[in-house]
Amino acid sequence: MIEFRNVSKHYSSDVTALRDVSFTVNKGELVFLAGPSGAGKSTLMKMIAAMERPSAGQVIVNGQDISRIKPVAVPFLRRNLGLIFQQQRLLTDRTVLANVMLPLLVTGAAHSQAEQRARAALDKVGLGDRAGAQPLALSGGEQQRVSIARAIVNRPQVILADEPTANLDRASANKVLDALKAFNSVGVTCLISSHDEVMLDAAARVIHLNQGQVEVQS
Amino acid sequence: MTYWFRQHRYALAAALVHLRRSPGGFLFNILVVAIALALPFLGVTLLDNVRPMSESLSVDPEISVFLKQDTPREQAEGLAVLLRQTVKDKQARIIFTPREKAFDNLKDKNGLADVLATLGDNPLPDSYVLKLDAFRNAQAGGDVDALAEQIRQLPGVDTVQVDSAWVKRLAALLNILRLALLLLAATLGTVVVAVIFNTIRLQVMTQREEILVSKLIGATDSFIHRPFYYTGALLGLCAGALALGAVTLALRPLNTAIAEFAKLYASEFQLAPLPTLAVAGLLALSAGLGLIGARLSVKRHTARLN
Repeated sequence: MIEFRNVSKHYSSDVTALRDVSFTVNKGELVFLAGPSGAGKSTLMKMIAAMERPSAGQVIVNGQDISRIKPVAVPFLRRNLGLIFQQQRLLTDRTVLANVMLPLLVTGAAHSQAEQRARAALDKVGLGDRAGAQPLALSGGEQQRVSIARAIVNRPQVILADEPTANLDRASANKVLDALKAFNSVGVTCLISSHDEVMLDAAARVIHLNQGQVEVQS
Repeated sequence: MTYWFRQHRYALAAALVHLRRSPGGFLFNILVVAIALALPFLGVTLLDNVRPMSESLSVDPEISVFLKQDTPREQAEGLAVLLRQTVKDKQARIIFTPREKAFDNLKDKNGLADVLATLGDNPLPDSYVLKLDAFRNAQAGGDVDALAEQIRQLPGVDTVQVDSAWVKRLAALLNILRLALLLLAATLGTVVVAVIFNTIRLQVMTQREEILVSKLIGATDSFIHRPFYYTGALLGLCAGALALGAVTLALRPLNTAIAEFAKLYASEFQLAPLPTLAVAGLLALSAGLGLIGARLSVKRHTARLN
């Protein structure tokens, strides 16, 4: 599903984000990426979403080599990925429902169908009753769950979550984690970067990065 | 087709939502663009009104040759041979009009029978009209003047009058005006494109986060660009409509002034608004300029967001 083959990323001659990284995430797996700030977690996530290209090596996502993917194909790759960010990046000028509908409207879905599926996604993250609210009226945890709903509304094969619980209290973080686990349990591959020890303790598989290199896979 | 229609409906709706959020800015931009469009639109309206008039007038040069009153008829008729020799290789029709016929024509045409009857004798001379091929440049125009001078030297000739030269001058003047209008339109069209380019640039900056998020969730460039294209086209279209409205309103005071002038020439000439087809064309052109400005701006500025 996701494969890194000897991937390196150099931003300049003296700034290296990743160094000869190799690992595989199989379909349906829930994998955590751990490591201190600057370890290369975000760069690695960005490469999977084709936001960055490797300087060397290959990144294979759903059978596509990201290093060779054409710009016009990138949107279609991303439609199979659910992206969750540390800062939720919800659009504050529209309702929660409109935010969740956006990935469907982007693909040309009918408005009624998009609304129906967005409401279902909000129900799944326990926010069905907040569909009409503005994002800024929600708590941080709720906003993050809205961003999860937005990530899964397109029924992606892979969810990439970059520090999804970083700014949340324990209760909210647990809800976010539960939501991600629920999607993983129905076969969605999840790759979550985090330095939350509680989350990592409960993880089945963790890839530890340090200074751009895979240190340990457990 | 449904997919295509849905995408465009979404883009149009998105454009309208964004315009509704800042109606003041949008209206101001419409005003600026409309001012730039109004001048060439007024020029087009004026030319459209003057063109049929100039086209209906003959631009083939005619030389009227009036003979002396005392020229015997035989000599008058024989002058045709001399005229033919003078014209030489030029294509010309030479028409002789005897004074009696000219007198009858005058009576018939102008309803001056009673007035002419009081004159007793026919005061008109025998005359010739030389219809030459159309001349298309100033050099050819000069040839006709030289020809008229030669005819003036022929025996029995009293007056030679080159007709239609003024029509040619009018046509030349209109061509210059048309060219000037084209240059003006090109300049102001560039201004319109620049104004819309900047408007869309600001909008791209305002919607930066929305564009970035849309990219991350799989929006294609077309999906992201389309609402801006609609905004640009709508801006151009509204400004075009406003400019045409202003020009139509401006025709009223212009017509009042023209009516007084035209009365001096016994004419009822009035400026009319442009025909529907021309209005549709200008509106399409305005929308097109908006689209061009938006297209240039969006491509440049969204690429920078990458």
